[in-house]
Amino acid sequence: MPTSPEMKRKLFVLIVENNQVDSRMLKGMLEKTAYGSFDLDCCSCLADACRRLENNTYDVVLLDLNLQDSRGLDTLGRIHHQFPHLPIVINTGAYEDSMGLKAITSGAQDYLIKGKYLPYGLSKALYYAVERKKAEQDLKAAYNHLRETQAQLIQAEKINVIGGLASGVAHEVKNPLATILYGIEFLYTKFEDTDDEQIHVTLNAIQEAAVKANRIIKDLLDFASLSSLQKRAEDIHSVIDHALTLIHHQCEKFSIDIQKKYAPSVPEIYIDRNRIEQVILDLTLNAIQAMPRGGALKISTQVKFFASDDDGFARPPSCSINIGDPVVIVDIVDSGEGISAEYLSKIFDPFFTTKRAAGGVGLGLSIARTIMHNHQGLISITNMADGGVRARLIFKR
Amino acid sequence: MRKAKILIIDDERGFTEMVKLNLEVTGRYRVFIENDSEFAMDTVIRTQPDIILLDVIMPYREGPDVAFQLRNHPLSRDIPVIFLTATITKEETASGCGLVGGHVFLAKPSSVEELIAAIEQNLEDGF
Repeated sequence: MPTSPEMKRKLFVLIVENNQVDSRMLKGMLEKTAYGSFDLDCCSCLADACRRLENNTYDVVLLDLNLQDSRGLDTLGRIHHQFPHLPIVINTGAYEDSMGLKAITSGAQDYLIKGKYLPYGLSKALYYAVERKKAEQDLKAAYNHLRETQAQLIQAEKINVIGGLASGVAHEVKNPLATILYGIEFLYTKFEDTDDEQIHVTLNAIQEAAVKANRIIKDLLDFASLSSLQKRAEDIHSVIDHALTLIHHQCEKFSIDIQKKYAPSVPEIYIDRNRIEQVILDLTLNAIQAMPRGGALKISTQVKFFASDDDGFARPPSCSINIGDPVVIVDIVDSGEGISAEYLSKIFDPFFTTKRAAGGVGLGLSIARTIMHNHQGLISITNMADGGVRARLIFKR
Repeated sequence: MRKAKILIIDDERGFTEMVKLNLEVTGRYRVFIENDSEFAMDTVIRTQPDIILLDVIMPYREGPDVAFQLRNHPLSRDIPVIFLTATITKEETASGCGLVGGHVFLAKPSSVEELIAAIEQNLEDGF
């Protein structure tokens, strides 16, 4: 329900006022005003104000700038920093025009000078401050959504460009690659009995390079063909289990213990099995690489209603998952050292990789995210509080 | 035992040479090459191969067009054809057991082992 000042719902106001006389006067004005009604709470120092703001939900704070424990715009700055969603009306005797404007640009909704207003004007200022703050918050949310959408569009455009380029060059590059690979195979046959180590080293190097080039082309083509999905109702546990059979050898090699914790009776979800298996494979391989000295790879599923604390996702414009929607969640958690904040923010960018030296192209997670978005699903990578990384996939039921 | 005759029709000269070398070194095959798809039909009739390896994207006349010609000529209609192409991936061909639209496809690049397996699978018994 919209809260327009005309409806004049009761506002819960915290008066932070150093001067007891001023404080009593403000209370008197707001209690007898004809414009709206107020529940009032008073305190006289910043520390007390912060305590009260932490423990109560006020609609607005009427703030004197000069308190025992804080003075000037610093008072505003500290309250605004700690409670960024709280509407603040400055009420001060230190009349200075420049400070008034500064206060507004520093987060206050209004700047009143003691003795220069009547009860009606004061009440109105408080109601208007609440609405002004709400409009500011809405604008901020709309701006963030716009920025996110723009980022998604740039991402989509990148994918389109790469896709077009990949399809175009793939054929041209794969043909010479086929020639090189067949040439090497022939030379292997020819030099099968030779003792010349240099020949074997050279052939191996050429073959490895050609195979790597072929893998890059394959990744690019993968990237290009992500939009075509063949979705069917699938049991997510069987998809995970199949992906796990493919990494079994790697897990043994690096002494990684796979711990599965599947929710009972998970409903089938509508997915392209091969693509989702590709996502799970990619995430589990990343997890394995994060634990070169062994560890635990925990894979769990849950069926629940999407909650705000499941969020923290970059939601694509096409995402149809809303708070309260029934979802299936897959978590892949490693016990590695976690990811630095700098890398975490770029982790889904195409061609971003920390494994360039090991031949990484930097498309794995970018592909994974595109696949999830094309399923109207979500993917997030977060550091766990106790170390390690959690990759989370969310599918709509 | 007579060697199976294989004709590879592909405009990539280097690739066709490598296929020839790899197959002939096994001692089981005799390989003919045609790099110009315009002459594909003439070469098929002249060489009478037991199996044809056919590229898809070629200048002048594309693989499917050549296959259509082959199917409509009494001297070539029964010769098995394997399409060799870089336009699809191994995964795409694997999902259809090597068949795409009823035709046998082998993705480029494939290993020599995979190529030989596909040839052996599609050669007529006793050729």
